[in-house]
Amino acid sequence: MAHDIALDDLERDALTEVVNIGVSRAAASLRKMVGRQVLLSVPAVEIVTHKAAAALIGQRESEDLVAVKQDFDGAFSGRALLIFPETRSMELVRAVAGDDIPAEDLPELESEALSETGNVILNNCLGTMANMLQRSLTMSLPEVLHGRGEDLFVNAQGEDGGLVLFLYINFSVRDRNIRGYIAMLMDLPSLATLKVLIADFIARVTADAG
Amino acid sequence: MTDEDNSVRIAELDSRIREAERRLNLVLDAAGATGGWDWDISTKTLTGDARFAALMGIDPVGLAAGIATSMFFSSIFADDQKRIRLAVAAMLAGAEVFSKDYRLLKADGSTRWVHAKGRTVFNEQDEAIRFVGNLVDITEQKRIQEQLRVAETAGGIGTFEHSEGFGTVQVSTYFCRLLGLHPTPVLPVSTVNNLVHPDDRPIIEAIVTSEPLADRNVEFRITRADNGEPRWLARRGEYVKDLEGPGLRYIGVAYDITASKIIEERLRRANEALSERVKERTEDLNRIWQNSRDLLAVLDLDGRVRAINPAWLEVLGAGESELIGKTLQQLSAKGSDGAPSLPTATAGSTRFEYSLRHADGTERWISWTASREATAIYAYGRDTTFEKAQAEALREAETQLRQSQKMEAVGQLTGGIAHDFNNMLTGIMGSLDIIRRRLAAGRYGEVERFIEAATTSAQRAATLTQRLLAFSRRQSLDRRATNVDDLLGNMSELLKRSLGEQVRLVVDVGAAWPIVTDGNQLENAILNLAINSRDAMPAGGELHIFARNVTLTPGQIAGLDLAGRRDFVALDVRDTGTGMPPDVLEKAFDPFFTTKPIGQGTGLGLSMVYGFAQQSGGAVEIRSRPGQGTTVTIYLPRSETAEETGAASTARHVPMGLGERVMVVEDDTSVRLLVVEVLRDLGYVPVEATQADEALDRLGASPHLDR
Repeated sequence: MAHDIALDDLERDALTEVVNIGVSRAAASLRKMVGRQVLLSVPAVEIVTHKAAAALIGQRESEDLVAVKQDFDGAFSGRALLIFPETRSMELVRAVAGDDIPAEDLPELESEALSETGNVILNNCLGTMANMLQRSLTMSLPEVLHGRGEDLFVNAQGEDGGLVLFLYINFSVRDRNIRGYIAMLMDLPSLATLKVLIADFIARVTADAG
Repeated sequence: MTDEDNSVRIAELDSRIREAERRLNLVLDAAGATGGWDWDISTKTLTGDARFAALMGIDPVGLAAGIATSMFFSSIFADDQKRIRLAVAAMLAGAEVFSKDYRLLKADGSTRWVHAKGRTVFNEQDEAIRFVGNLVDITEQKRIQEQLRVAETAGGIGTFEHSEGFGTVQVSTYFCRLLGLHPTPVLPVSTVNNLVHPDDRPIIEAIVTSEPLADRNVEFRITRADNGEPRWLARRGEYVKDLEGPGLRYIGVAYDITASKIIEERLRRANEALSERVKERTEDLNRIWQNSRDLLAVLDLDGRVRAINPAWLEVLGAGESELIGKTLQQLSAKGSDGAPSLPTATAGSTRFEYSLRHADGTERWISWTASREATAIYAYGRDTTFEKAQAEALREAETQLRQSQKMEAVGQLTGGIAHDFNNMLTGIMGSLDIIRRRLAAGRYGEVERFIEAATTSAQRAATLTQRLLAFSRRQSLDRRATNVDDLLGNMSELLKRSLGEQVRLVVDVGAAWPIVTDGNQLENAILNLAINSRDAMPAGGELHIFARNVTLTPGQIAGLDLAGRRDFVALDVRDTGTGMPPDVLEKAFDPFFTTKPIGQGTGLGLSMVYGFAQQSGGAVEIRSRPGQGTTVTIYLPRSETAEETGAASTARHVPMGLGERVMVVEDDTSVRLLVVEVLRDLGYVPVEATQADEALDRLGASPHLDR
C-alpha cells in the first residue's frame, strides 16, 4: 500500500508547487484582510504519520498551539489545519480586527476572528489546489482547537494509521509577530487519488510550458 | 574601406568580444555574480541584464531587447528541466515564491550551479503579470556545502548556530538526526535543550562572553526525541562576531560519544572494582604486617632496613626510629659473626640464622627466611631465642639424667658386691682382733688358725677388687655430725705424704659448720681428689683445700635437689694443674672414665666422690679450664646437732656374757668363726649354724637359747 502513495521527487515538487499556488492565493486574501504584506516561506511537503506530524510540530513549537480546523470532501477528502502558536493568536486577531478595536474587546473577538481568518486562508488554499488539479472540494465550517501538537493530530483521522500530508509553510505578517503552519490530514485512498491528480498536473504543465 | 578590410576588422572585433566574454565569465565565476531577469507573462517576453545573459550564455544585446520566454530554460541542465518548468508554471499560475537551485550547462560543456530566486508581480485584479528574479552562481558554495554535508555525515557531526538573544537555533540535518528530531533548518532553543538531561549543561546556553572565544568541550546526556533512547553527546564551538547583528553567535558542532562513554564507564567500573580488590588485599596484607608476632622487614639490597613491622619493637625493644637505615649487621648481636647470608639471586628464598641485639643488650636468636626482588629484599624472621634456651635446658637436663642414671646403675652394681666385700674385711679384722687377744693372753698356739683365716679373707677381697677393677661402694653411710676442720687437720699429714715433695699443700680451716656425713668416706673423697690433682700437676704446683659456709637455694647448684634454702659447707679442692677441656669435664664423673694411662687409674675416683656427695644429701661441682687448673667443690649439708667425737663411740661399754646360749647363723666361715670366738671370749655359749635351715634344726634339737 505504502508505495502506492509514495511520491517520487518530481511528484513531490509538483505537489509542493500546487501548495505554493494555493498558499499564495491564501496569502493574497490574508493580505487584503490585514492590509499588510504577508510573507511566505518556501513550502515543504511531507507525508508522515500522525505521530510524526505531532512530533514535528511539537519539536518546532514548544508552546501550546491554536488550530483552525476544516474538513474537506471531494475527489480527495480529509482535514485541513491552520496552526500557529497560541501566544501569536491574539496578534493575528489584532491584525485582522484592526488597531482601532480596544484591547479589552479582543478576547471576545478571538474565536470568531480566528475562525474567519482560518476559513479564508484554508478555503483559498484548498480551493486553489483543487482548481489546479481540476477537481472540486466542499469545505465544512471552521472550528477552533487548542492544545499541543499531539492533541491536534490524534483522533483527527481515526485509528487506521492514516497519514498526514504535512505542508509546512511559514507565513509571517510584516510588523506583526505572526507565524503558522498548514497541515492536511488525509487517509490512504485520498492520498492515492492525489498522487494520480499530481501526475496529471505534471503532464499538463510541462506540456504547456514546452 | 574594402570588404577585405571590413572582414579583417570584424574578425578582430569578434576576437576582442570573445576575449571580453571570456574575461567576464571568469569574473562572474569568481564573484558569484547575480543576474536579473524579467518575465512578462502577457507578452511571453523575457528580458534580462548582461550578467544574466552571461550566466545563461545568451546574447546580451538580444536579451536586453526581449527574447522568447522559452529561452529561460535553454541552458538548464537536462535533469533539472522538468523540476524548474514545474516551478515556473506554478509561478505563472499564481504562486508567489520561487526559490530553486539548478544547474546551467555552459558552452564549454561544464555545468554551474545557480540559485534562482523570484516572485510574481500582480496587477490590481490580482493577476500575475510578471515573474521577476535573480540568478546567482553558487557552484563554489554548493561544493562547500557538499563537502560540509559529507564531513558531517562521515564524521557523525551535527552543526548548529545560535545568535545572541534569539529563541531559535539554526541546525544542520545531521544535528537533527543526532537528537532524533525531524530534519529542519531551524528549531526553538527549548526543543533542543529539553532533550538534555536536567543535570547536564544545556546545548544552547546564554551567551555570557562579550568577546569571541573558543568554548571548551562539553559532554551531556540526551534523550532522543524519536525513540527515547539515552545517548551521550559532546559539543564544542566558538563564539564569533555575528555577521548580521552587533552581538555574538555561537557556532558549534555536536557528536555522539555514547560508545566511548560506555567503554569509559566500563573502564571506570573495572578500575573501581580493581581498586576495591587491591584495597581489600592491601588491608589483609597490612593486617598481617601489623599483627604478625614475627619480624617482617623490607631491606634494600645492601641489607639496610627500609621498613619494619611493629613486631620488631616487641622482639628487639627498638622501633622504626632506631632501626630504619641500619644494616642487619649493625643490629647484630655478638653471637653473629660477619654479615648475614642475604639472598643474592631473585630465585627462591634463603634461610639463615642471625642473632640481633635487643635494646637491653641481650641476644635474640632469629631464624630468617629472605627472598630477593629487583630492588628489595623481603625478610621474615622468627625469634627462636626461647626455643634455643629451652633446647639448651633440655640438653642439660638430659645430660644430668644420663649422669644420674649411670651413677645409679653403677651404685646398684657395686651395692650387691659391697656386702661380700664387707664380710671379707670382717674376717680379716676379726681375725686380727682375736689374734691380738690370743697374743695378749699368751695363747700363741691358737694364733695360726686366725692368721690363716684373715689371710684367706684378704686374698679373696684382693681377688674381688682385682676382678671389679674397683667400684664405688654403695653402702649405708655411717653418717654423723662431723667437724670438717678437725677432719682436714687430721688428714693433712696423710695428704702431704700422698702429694709428694713437688706439690705444696695449703689447707684453710676456719669456722666451718659441723656437717652430717661419713667421715671416712669424706676422707676417701678428699684423698681421691688430692691424688687426681697431684697427677694433674706433674711439674708440681699448689693444692688448696678450704672449707666455707654457704646457704644454697633451689636450682643454684646443678644436680642438687632442694626443697628450700639450706646451709651447706662447701669444700673446695683446687689445683694449679693442667685443667680439663669441656668434653673431658662433661665426662669427669662417669665411672671408669679416666684420662690416665691404662693400669694407672681406675676411673672410679670422681664417680665415687659423686656417689658419696649424692648419698650425703649434697652435690659436687667441678670447674676447670685447660691450663687454668681444676676446682672440685663438695657441698655437704650442715648438721642440725652438735658434733660427736669419734672417741666417744670407741669408749662404749662392751656387754659380758655369763654362759648364755647364743645361736650364730652365718654362711661365711671366717665371719662365723670370728663371731663364735668373740662370743665365747665374752662368756657366751655360741651355737653355730651356716644357714637358716640348719639353724632351725639346731633349735629343734636344743631349744633353749638365750639370745
